[in-house]
Amino acid sequence: MDILIDSLFSALLLVVSLDREMLAIIMVSLQVSCASTVLASLVGIPTGFFIALRQFPGKRMVITVLNTLLALPTVVIGLFVYAFVSRRGIFGPLDLLYTQKAIIIGQIILIIPLVSALTIAAISRIDDRYRRTAMTLGANRIQTAQVILFEARFGITAAIVAAFGRVISEVGISMMLGGNIKGFTRTMTTAMALEYDKGAFSLAVALGIVLMTLSFGMNILFHFFQGKYRA
Amino acid sequence: MNVYQIHNLKKSYNGRAILDIEYLELNAGRIYGLLGPNGAGKTTLLNILGFLDKPTTGTLDFLGKAVSFKEHDLQPLRKEVVVLDQYPVLFTTSVYKNLEFGLKLRKIDKTKREAVIDEVLDLVDMTLFKHAPAYTLSGGETQRVALARALALSPKVFLCDEPTASVDVENQAAIIALLKQINDTKKISIVFTTHDRLLAAGLAQHTLVLNEGRLVTTGYENTFPCRIEKISDNQIRCCLNGNTCWLLSSDIPQTNAGKARIFIDPEKIRLFVGRSEVSNCIEGKVVQLMEESDRVRAVVNIGFLLTVLLKRENYNFLRPGIGDTVAVSIESEAVTLSSD
Repeated sequence: MDILIDSLFSALLLVVSLDREMLAIIMVSLQVSCASTVLASLVGIPTGFFIALRQFPGKRMVITVLNTLLALPTVVIGLFVYAFVSRRGIFGPLDLLYTQKAIIIGQIILIIPLVSALTIAAISRIDDRYRRTAMTLGANRIQTAQVILFEARFGITAAIVAAFGRVISEVGISMMLGGNIKGFTRTMTTAMALEYDKGAFSLAVALGIVLMTLSFGMNILFHFFQGKYRA
Repeated sequence: MNVYQIHNLKKSYNGRAILDIEYLELNAGRIYGLLGPNGAGKTTLLNILGFLDKPTTGTLDFLGKAVSFKEHDLQPLRKEVVVLDQYPVLFTTSVYKNLEFGLKLRKIDKTKREAVIDEVLDLVDMTLFKHAPAYTLSGGETQRVALARALALSPKVFLCDEPTASVDVENQAAIIALLKQINDTKKISIVFTTHDRLLAAGLAQHTLVLNEGRLVTTGYENTFPCRIEKISDNQIRCCLNGNTCWLLSSDIPQTNAGKARIFIDPEKIRLFVGRSEVSNCIEGKVVQLMEESDRVRAVVNIGFLLTVLLKRENYNFLRPGIGDTVAVSIESEAVTLSSD
């Protein structure tokens, strides 16, 4: 019990004193997670939008596959991307392994299905009358799509928030593709795993507090947008 | 001048024809009421007239020009016509931005937009709600703002799907008055759908009746599915709802035994107060009486609700009251049968 209280006390000191090493780790985590969330959203939102609004053969199958991919373990993605970016892989010459780019690639693969699936759900819930209303008021296809996107804005924002929450807290991809290199690819989750291995709990608990605070914040945002969407 | 002209227009879903109109002409500046039961094809026709849906076959002329149903060609036409949904939706922003949407698409400058929005909001008596979030409005207010949003665009045609179906009596009166006013002052042609005969009679200058996708010449009321049984060479029996039956002479066209559709002309039904001595009468109770220009409309429950139109002198002579037992005689000349 003492070790936990001591660690918590030291961790709070680290958080309050804005420890440089801790801040560097947080920065790496935020950089990587923001980049992967933005890039995955750029792909996932149009994909979800297209799937939700278009009728095409195999649509149900595509949605089923996307929903299945939501449960894809991060270590599987890590292994899969590793096979491509390791020296012997086809992207070996690009020297991506153990870089932030490799983590971003892995995380994009992780959350594209999540962003797409939640976008499909958000768009599908928009009443078709919005589309017809926009059209009868004179909107062309692009303007009509903008109206639908606008009406689904809370649901889509919730999708982005959920995707960010997923990548900031994952450890498998960051560890396998980033290699946990200090100051370069060490993220909050990989640093916590390392500190745990070392038996040094202060930094791990401090990072845990920051991560929990971030996740908590993300969840509050998520529920805020979802709630507003339902209203 | 015609706003619309339809030739052999058909719309099918999964091989089933839901709209089949041989010829229809709608004149500019008039109010048309499109009557018919649920599933008659009213909304489908309205959506085709609003260029939101495409016919399967046939041609549609708009303002004298044949309409090409290619998406690229439809978009400019949609700027001339506005469809008002039965349950209209407002975009989840302010009332002002809802009204501004169509005007912005038409590249109308800000000063003019502001003036038009103020004018139409005043017309629908919603000026106080100009900057209110649209989701805070009631059903009637939403309907009025949706009307204003359409009106702001000064369309040539308003197509209203059941314009008063989702609002209370007070708002119904306001919407009817507004539609009459914009037709009168702005000369906007109006086509509205309804299954309410009274609304059609009160608002429309012309009434069209759709039944199972076809324009029919028979009235909308007193049209029922029925079963025809052949009794003898010169007599048939017509049964409605399985238990209300009466005899008719078999000289009516289309009198094959089996399922059919019957139209009973409300002006040709004979009504007797009390229990009638005349044979082949059906007894029932008067459930509604209504004055209608020089006639009186009586609705009689004879196992189903039958409308009888009585001439004023006939009504004055008979004086049926609500709840009175009456007998109706439906002779062959009052009946039109069609195959189901």
